[in-house]
Amino acid sequence: MDVIQALEEALNKNCILSSEEACRPYECDGLSAYRQKPLAVALPEDVEQVKQVLRICKAHNTPVITRGSGTGLAGGTLPLENSVILGLSKLNKILQIDPLQRTAIVQPGVRNIQVSDAAAKYGLYYAPDPSSQVACSIGGNVAENSGGVHCLKYGLTVHNVTSLTVLDMDGEIIRFDEKDDGIDLLALLNGSEGLLGVIVEIKLKLIPKPEAAQLVMAAFNSVKACADAVTSVLKQGIVPAGLEMMDKFSIQAAEDFAKVGYPVEAAALLLCEVDGSHDQVKVDAQRVADILTQNGAYEIRVSQNEKERIELWQGRKNAFPAVGRYSPDYYCMDGTIPRSKLAYVLDEIDKLSEKYGLKVANVFHAGDGNLHPLILYDANKPGELEETEKFGQEILKLCVDVGGTITGEHGVGVEKLDSMCHQYPQAELEIFHGIKNVFDSSGLLNPGKAIPTLHRCAELGHMHVHNNQLPHPELERF
Amino acid sequence: MSMQSSISHYSDQIKQAVVDKQLLQIAGNQSKVPLYEDAQLLSIADHTGIVSYDPAELVVTVKAGTKLSDLSAALAENNQMLGFEPPEYGDSTIGGTYACALTGPSRPFRGGLRDFVLGTQLIDGQGREMRFGGKMLKNVAGYDVSRMLCGSKGSLALVTELSLKVLPLLEEQTYSIPMPEGEAILLMNKMQGTSLPLTGCAYFEGKFYYRVAGEHPTQDNRVEVTACSNDVWKTLNPFQPKLAEGEKLWRLDVESTNPAIENTIAVGMGGTRRWVASKNKPNHPYVTLWQSRFAPRNNDKPCVQRIKAGLKDVFDPHHIFKDL
Ligand SMILES: Cc1cc2nc3c(=O)[nH]c(=O)nc-3n(C[C@H](O)[C@H](O)[C@@H](O)COP(=O)(O)OP(=O)(O)OC[C@H]3O[C@@H](n4cnc5c(N)ncnc54)[C@H](O)[C@@H]3O)c2cc1C
Ligand SMILES: Cc1cc2nc3c(=O)[nH]c(=O)nc-3n(C[C@H](O)[C@H](O)[C@H](O)COP(=O)(O)OP(=O)(O)OC[C@H]3O[C@@H](n4cnc5c(N)ncnc54)[C@H](O)[C@@H]3O)c2cc1C
Repeated sequence: MDVIQALEEALNKNCILSSEEACRPYECDGLSAYRQKPLAVALPEDVEQVKQVLRICKAHNTPVITRGSGTGLAGGTLPLENSVILGLSKLNKILQIDPLQRTAIVQPGVRNIQVSDAAAKYGLYYAPDPSSQVACSIGGNVAENSGGVHCLKYGLTVHNVTSLTVLDMDGEIIRFDEKDDGIDLLALLNGSEGLLGVIVEIKLKLIPKPEAAQLVMAAFNSVKACADAVTSVLKQGIVPAGLEMMDKFSIQAAEDFAKVGYPVEAAALLLCEVDGSHDQVKVDAQRVADILTQNGAYEIRVSQNEKERIELWQGRKNAFPAVGRYSPDYYCMDGTIPRSKLAYVLDEIDKLSEKYGLKVANVFHAGDGNLHPLILYDANKPGELEETEKFGQEILKLCVDVGGTITGEHGVGVEKLDSMCHQYPQAELEIFHGIKNVFDSSGLLNPGKAIPTLHRCAELGHMHVHNNQLPHPELERF
Repeated sequence: MSMQSSISHYSDQIKQAVVDKQLLQIAGNQSKVPLYEDAQLLSIADHTGIVSYDPAELVVTVKAGTKLSDLSAALAENNQMLGFEPPEYGDSTIGGTYACALTGPSRPFRGGLRDFVLGTQLIDGQGREMRFGGKMLKNVAGYDVSRMLCGSKGSLALVTELSLKVLPLLEEQTYSIPMPEGEAILLMNKMQGTSLPLTGCAYFEGKFYYRVAGEHPTQDNRVEVTACSNDVWKTLNPFQPKLAEGEKLWRLDVESTNPAIENTIAVGMGGTRRWVASKNKPNHPYVTLWQSRFAPRNNDKPCVQRIKAGLKDVFDPHHIFKDL
């Protein structure tokens, strides 16, 4: 019996997809430049069935790629030809909300926004808010350690998860809890990109909705002045709930699209939100406005009510699709840099943009130095995708070279494997492979993602290989 | 000694220990760990100082042997602080604090030590220097080794440097209300669900204590509310109460809404931590014996034990570091 038959026998027939058409939606995630039809897609309806899928795949030596909503932007759920996609969208129940304890227990397929919606009647919400929050699953959030606009103040997913129930490749249940003693395995599972285990239940922290929030919009004549102003705000002891920056191109695109009244002639636009108690917000919004003015903002607007606040955000929130309208395709990069290097890095990106002849729009989370350069290209022009990828890699290299990292929130997946070789030397990569091996000695969970093989880095020329002998020959290489 | 040469000095010591099959006890200022007979001391107490600190980045990078008090003072000069409010036991080092994952009363509100760790530099059990994470608030490249090692108690690697997120120093005010324990537990949970900017909630000696940061409404909603000194948080962290003959101090980690537990002498961290004084170990899933020497808790399930043993082999394949 082959693996598909075994799965069909164990689960309801309609839970297993294997035809060309039925599998098509599972050929890629948000990074649609890479596609591959999997052997089959399993859509279990409960944890028991997830266990069975894993056991069957293990018995058939078939790789398993866990999938939440498929909104990942790094090719983390890209199928392999001989793999089964384990889709968890049917595990979509909120199992418990405890308003007094301020926790939610959810299945992995629950969408991010649903948690806050369900908690709203208690005045609570779930803080991490990736822009994809209407679609992406909590399981995927944990696997990617996702973050959103509110990260600087309220943290990433890892800061808001208090316990996880995970299945290993043998289908054995393992629980990780913040109360556990010794090393922090709970932290290790966050951001593990489906390589260490299948997350089947998650306990989340809920926090009270802030009493008030105000948004300060400021326009600057130069990127540097804007970056310096950000620095001043943080130095003076204010931790904004959101701190977003846009360059000229993005401002124009966003304004064109959302018509919110952004100053289109500005070189840089800053959106700074403060939240908390009414008293605190009043004080902070004024202080932010003062600091920004002292730092050269030539136009300031402070939202006077909820309606205005939400309207002012609309441009920023729609910036990606807005920019997308100027070009058939765009490639959204993700890297992080020290804030002090912002002006320098943007300058360098400009130079690269000229070198490659490709336009770039810059939208980023200025609070935490997370950049999202959007490279505009046309996939129908031969070679342009390849050029775009090269350009992207140069941006990431630039991030590492100024002391930053190759990904702030999108993860590695199959994308950026080469850039990992730039960021991490061999010893660290060996440790990563060692960790993988401890959790999944069969190597069947999402193989080939997130951590490049030593072989790959050697081929890229970042590693010295002596006598053609790689260190740790016992480690599997793909 | 220059920083580079001192780092390679540690690495040489570890490599030599592998050759000699000599067990090493990693230590900071040994405020807790004794030197075990079978082990040789590997002290990082001399490796001190701030490597880099730009207040506007909200990040500090510090050598592991640096005393907590020195680090806190340097941050305070810039109106900043360690957000996890670590307890100070005399001259504890930041490395020892990290290795023990020690956190204070603000944990439910701002997060624990692990929530502030951004990156580490370390030397593994083969004497290899490496770095994980970085100095960025957001970084999801590779597994999160620097957070994972929180609580590793010197068993996996020698941590030589840490990058931590820091926060603006807050102005805080503590209030107290006399009431029974059960009522206090309920009230502290209810309050944590409101938008009051809380940074501490505890119960101690017949009073419910809470701490509020920054601008907040006047606390005259109850007649018995009194503004009091912030010192109670120092009494509770580190908590070192006088115990009766034969009694032991136990630390229990529970759900915040867990009802009052017998023999509790203090409730901390918004209700999630209970300190119990009793002769016998309380019957609870997460209990640590708290004494002047380590008492590992070891309540791991077999599958977790297997993972931890596997990770020990990855980081310290020759088992050179004393595993307590
Ligand atoms: C299980 C446990 C129980 C505790 N019980 C008590 C108690 O009952 N009462 C009390 O007052 N305090 C207790 N503590 C607190 C703790 O021991 C110290 O307060 C802590 O701050 C140590 O600081 P130090 O620099 O003196 O470290 P040390 O005492 O020198 O070392 C503490 C631990 O950290 C490790 N370590 C130190 N530096 C490094 C480094 N650079 N890299 C890797 N590992 C390192 C050591 O190997 C050791 O395991 C306990 C801690 C733990 C983990
Ligand atoms: C328009 C748009 C905006 C975005 N904005 C943000 C943003 O602001 N911040 C941000 O961080 N990300 C953002 N993303 C990326 C993406 O939405 C997040 O990474 C999200 O967390 C992925 O969730 P998912 O359920 O879609 O996961 P998938 O794409 O289905 O999977 C992602 C990875 O997680 C693994 N995985 C999924 N579920 C599980 C599970 N239960 N157990 C184990 N492994 C699992 C997969 O194997 C894969 O490696 C954005 C994406 C889009 C399309």
